[in-house]
Amino acid sequence: MLTPLQAIKKKRAEAVNRIVSKGYLSTKRVYVGMATCEIAAGSKEVMDVFRQAIANGLTDVYLSQKGCAGRCNLEPTVEVVEEGKIPVKYGRVTPQRARDIVERHLKKGEIIAEWVI
Amino acid sequence: MGDLTERTMDVKETRYKLTLCDGTACIHNHSKAVQQALETELDKHGLKDSVSIHLSGCLGMCTKGPILIVNPGYIMYGRVQVEDVPEIVESHLVNNKAVTRLIITEDHLYNRFFRIFGDVDFFGKQMRIALRNCGIIDPENIDNYLSLRGYEALAKALETMTPGQVIEEVKKSGLRGRGGAGFPTGLKWEFTANQDSDEKYVICNADEGDPGAFMDRSAIEGDPHTVLEGMMIGGYAIGAGKGIIYIRAEYPLAIKRLEKAIASAREHGLLGENILGSDFAFDIEIRLGAGAFVCGEETALIHSIEGHRGMPRPRPPYPSVKGLFGKPTLINNVETWANIPVILLDGADWFNTVGTETSKGTKVFAVAGRVQNTGLVEVPMGTTLREIIYDICGGIPNGKRFKAVQTGGPSGGCLPEHYLDTEIDYESLAKAGSIMGSGGMIVIDEDSCMVSLARFFLEFTQDESCGKCTPCREGTKRMYEILTRITEGQGQPGDIEKLQRLGEMIKHSSLCGLGQSAPNPVLSTIENFREEYEEHIQDKKCRAGQCTALLSYTINDKCVGCGACKRVCPVNAIEGVRKEKHRILQEVCIRCGQCYEVCKFDAITKA
Repeated sequence: MLTPLQAIKKKRAEAVNRIVSKGYLSTKRVYVGMATCEIAAGSKEVMDVFRQAIANGLTDVYLSQKGCAGRCNLEPTVEVVEEGKIPVKYGRVTPQRARDIVERHLKKGEIIAEWVI
Repeated sequence: MGDLTERTMDVKETRYKLTLCDGTACIHNHSKAVQQALETELDKHGLKDSVSIHLSGCLGMCTKGPILIVNPGYIMYGRVQVEDVPEIVESHLVNNKAVTRLIITEDHLYNRFFRIFGDVDFFGKQMRIALRNCGIIDPENIDNYLSLRGYEALAKALETMTPGQVIEEVKKSGLRGRGGAGFPTGLKWEFTANQDSDEKYVICNADEGDPGAFMDRSAIEGDPHTVLEGMMIGGYAIGAGKGIIYIRAEYPLAIKRLEKAIASAREHGLLGENILGSDFAFDIEIRLGAGAFVCGEETALIHSIEGHRGMPRPRPPYPSVKGLFGKPTLINNVETWANIPVILLDGADWFNTVGTETSKGTKVFAVAGRVQNTGLVEVPMGTTLREIIYDICGGIPNGKRFKAVQTGGPSGGCLPEHYLDTEIDYESLAKAGSIMGSGGMIVIDEDSCMVSLARFFLEFTQDESCGKCTPCREGTKRMYEILTRITEGQGQPGDIEKLQRLGEMIKHSSLCGLGQSAPNPVLSTIENFREEYEEHIQDKKCRAGQCTALLSYTINDKCVGCGACKRVCPVNAIEGVRKEKHRILQEVCIRCGQCYEVCKFDAITKA
């Protein structure tokens, strides 16, 4: 019988394994803001662009939604996190910008400086 | 995903961002000298352009300061002295080798968002406890929360602490209610725990109703599990088996995420019987409110859950004695609950080092209005209004002048410029004539009319008054009428005094917080901007140009008679022959300002 602390540690280890099995250790992790405010600013369409890109064969990318970080006037926001690099935070991402982020940043590694927060 | 991101020791990138703690304690420990030394060293190595230095607010590790964080990698150095700087720069920033002897490893729950957002000034100056996971995890996946030591605080309480020890810890933390009133949370817990009853309830007040406030919605949408965990710990501490989240139906996404969170917590055996193998049993359900502002008041909220009309009742007895269905009930706000897991894991001794003498921890503010960066801000208590408005939110746009800041939602007061350096806590805001409230913060610039602003808030409160107390029901209505006539140019001498008398009366004779605070916007604007009221009443002028009824448009000699204004006027109030000076018929003019907008010759005077 596990004690509560042992039980929660086991749960945590299992949770980490599940996250990793979903591709968390991909080279790039993409987070799209999906709170009410972000959705109102158009983040659902942005999310669709990334989903579509992955469905169309974009690999080595872990896509996740996230809550609101609090940057209301720059929403929708998207973060591209890569191990060992400064996380890149994009603001006011439109579906068109999202397509550019896929093509230029996710595929070619180019940080699109003008949209960075 | 702390456990995963922490293995970033082999840093590949050469561009570094440094975050230096700029809190009072670190400054005292010579962080300014460290900053200077860093700048000199960077210059020496030619790294000035590729490495940037950012200053953060207090990082909450004062005993280990000055703190220097190097990103990428989130390497944290503690007790950094001027002598250490050359080594850090040479080894870490030039040769990509971290200086192990100075690294501090603190597995804090708070400030995790720093790993992603720390290099942006807007975030770097904040300190996030309640919102620690917001914007960095997937709120709909319990695995994300679990991986960040989620529910460990609950496990710790169940395994190593008695309910009494949990309450002691919360008391020691100095946490006070974040819903607005600021009552010491630990005491509330203790009162409820001391009641002898076969049944007790825990309630989360998520009935966020202040116009422009969205702290609770964001907290729930970004990290619902932390609220659940806080409530479970509360349930364990007071001996309750059931929790209820009262949330307004206007928050569909927040509700959906809570439902999902509750369902997955049940699946993981975190809700229900024998939680985590212990004999503690607890479950949570959601009740939807219909969006009545008064239901944020605890007794009205309880009535609403019971199926009655949402109206407050006199206290005592307080809900901790006689609450939901007559049973002892512990009711706290979303943000208060979100603080609880951090207090248990990071410790009350740490928590009460953050903040001011009387108010510990942080507060979330929803900053809106005339600032560059609107948004959600969580800062330690004791941060000044100036730091929030200028350092974090980037100041007033378009070169306009700051006029006032309204804190605490529709029941708060307006504070003018000389209060900008007020260190925010419950007491200082009350002393300045405003309130902490639930955390709304609206910044006002010179283009806003203070009378109209007061009228706006009164329009809201008189509409939301539940009608139980006559002074609130009738009084706010009369105040609203007086304010309306002032903004329409019908103000009468003595109106200001009448507003003040009514306001004081309503404050002193209303049962609940709604009536007790509804006159605040009016009283504080009279106190701080009386001359604007006087101008409206005596000179029929609105200096901000916002009260249209007090404006007049006339045509000056620059008019060339092009007729553009005449064509655009919706009520045919402009007459004149082509190529001759036109004229505005004042008795017909509705002061819509369209002629002013359309004139290319600057020939229309607005006064």
